[in-house]
Amino acid sequence: MKRPLTSVAFAFTLLALAVYTLFPVYLMVKIATGDPSDIMRERPGLLLHSFTLEHFRNVLSSGYLVAPFEKSLSVAVLTALGALLLSVPAAYAISRFPKNVQYGFLLLIFVTRMFPEVGIALPVSVAFIRWNLLDTVPGLVLAHLIRVLPVTCWILLNTFETIPKDLEEAARVDGAGKLAALRHIVLPLALQGIAVAAIFSFLMSWDEFTYALYLCLSEPTLPLKVYYYMNRGNIFETATYSLIVALPVVVVTYALQKYLRSGYLAGAVKG
Amino acid sequence: MNIRDRACLYLSVAPLIAYILVFTFVPVLCGVWLGFAGKFSGAFPSWENYRYIVSHFQFRSALLNTLIITGVGLFLELVAGFFLAFLLTKKFKLKGFVRALVLLPLGIPTIVSAATMRSVFDTQGYLNEFLYRAQLIRVAVDWGDGGMKTLFAVVVSDMWKVTPLVMLILLAGLESIPGELYEAARVDGASALGTLRHITIPLLKPFIVMALVVRGIDAFRLFELPLALAGRGSPVLSTYAYFEYMDYNNPNTAAAAASILFAIILLCVVLVVKTTTRKVLGGK
Repeated sequence: MKRPLTSVAFAFTLLALAVYTLFPVYLMVKIATGDPSDIMRERPGLLLHSFTLEHFRNVLSSGYLVAPFEKSLSVAVLTALGALLLSVPAAYAISRFPKNVQYGFLLLIFVTRMFPEVGIALPVSVAFIRWNLLDTVPGLVLAHLIRVLPVTCWILLNTFETIPKDLEEAARVDGAGKLAALRHIVLPLALQGIAVAAIFSFLMSWDEFTYALYLCLSEPTLPLKVYYYMNRGNIFETATYSLIVALPVVVVTYALQKYLRSGYLAGAVKG
Repeated sequence: MNIRDRACLYLSVAPLIAYILVFTFVPVLCGVWLGFAGKFSGAFPSWENYRYIVSHFQFRSALLNTLIITGVGLFLELVAGFFLAFLLTKKFKLKGFVRALVLLPLGIPTIVSAATMRSVFDTQGYLNEFLYRAQLIRVAVDWGDGGMKTLFAVVVSDMWKVTPLVMLILLAGLESIPGELYEAARVDGASALGTLRHITIPLLKPFIVMALVVRGIDAFRLFELPLALAGRGSPVLSTYAYFEYMDYNNPNTAAAAASILFAIILLCVVLVVKTTTRKVLGGK
């Protein structure tokens, strides 16, 4: 007899949940496409009352978008490449070590997560002033790798662990050299994991804020532009830049949902 | 494995380990060293910076705010995450859609969610608008002017972003509990509350600890949200360290504050891991 009532309550809970989750995203779109006369009021309405592409046009024609966009993009691409270069061989090697060595390595990675980023960014920025790396792309890539490498290592270690050693040995018994076995057996099987690691490192660098704040003074990245406009109270630019930063992340994260789950969790379980 | 293979393996790991040592451990040690280097006296080691920040009103409020935000935030995120995970163990239409929807905030960059939450918690913002409509307030609430209100805004914003992560961890835990256990409890006439207390929570414990550690560390290190929503008025330890360095150009006190934050995180992780593993061992 309770059933209809419970299912109504259940549906209502889901609806409330959906509204709560979507509201901030909706708000971003509402402001970025809202008419100033409609948004800048003492009591802004909750619904969409207007639609304009004026703010996007302003941001595009302002001339301030291209440089930060290029910087963010090149830093993210280089960070992803650097992360693969450092962590693919390392993760493969560690997956072939005994269990206790693997455990020690994971512990090391977990410890790096406990350091506050402001604590790392400060000495790094002091050193970068001396090395003339402030405001440069390589400097920011070096800093972004600090937070990206532990994550790519987790993902890649999980990937290589699932590839049985026997496969490789079978190839070598059949006369393939070590490198040939790696290229023709291990790499193709690991390709999916490597792609996921690359995409995650790209995204983690693309929307990174803390290191960028410490290491960029006059040549900001896109996330810094969001912060800059937010502090100046330009809500339309803030929302428009927010959308530009968030859009690729949302789309890709959505497409990679199942990896998000196993990647994060596998990392967390082992840590 | 012959010696050459082994050498190859070590050579493959070496660059990564070197990177982590040079760019993570060395800066952290440098930070600790900076914190103990007297800026004016030039003495080392010296408690000068620590004495300065401990007597600084802003620092004390930052310490308190950090502890409140972490404690309250973690508790609420665990409760909400458990509730969400519980909902998603049910079978219903549109479940895949709801799951994707719930995970959406994980894909929003933190600085973007901070900027958006600033519109929500603005004096002429959307939370106030909602509260007017619900006839809960008549005068606009200034969420950013300090005190508990501001901390509340930070906690709610953080919750929006990270509860899905807690939910994922707890959901994995809930799905690992065999259905027969619930069946047996039902046959034995256990109440819903009894089942929760004696079956779900004990079996979920490793996952709760994991969520607590993973999220706890991040909650202590929150930076973008307090920077955007609380600013200089209600700093937390990480934003305090930032202001000391960027605004007052004092790397030494900033490093001291960051070192204190690190010490607190380390202490909490060790404490949680120690107490929970002992209990598990004692229970067995």
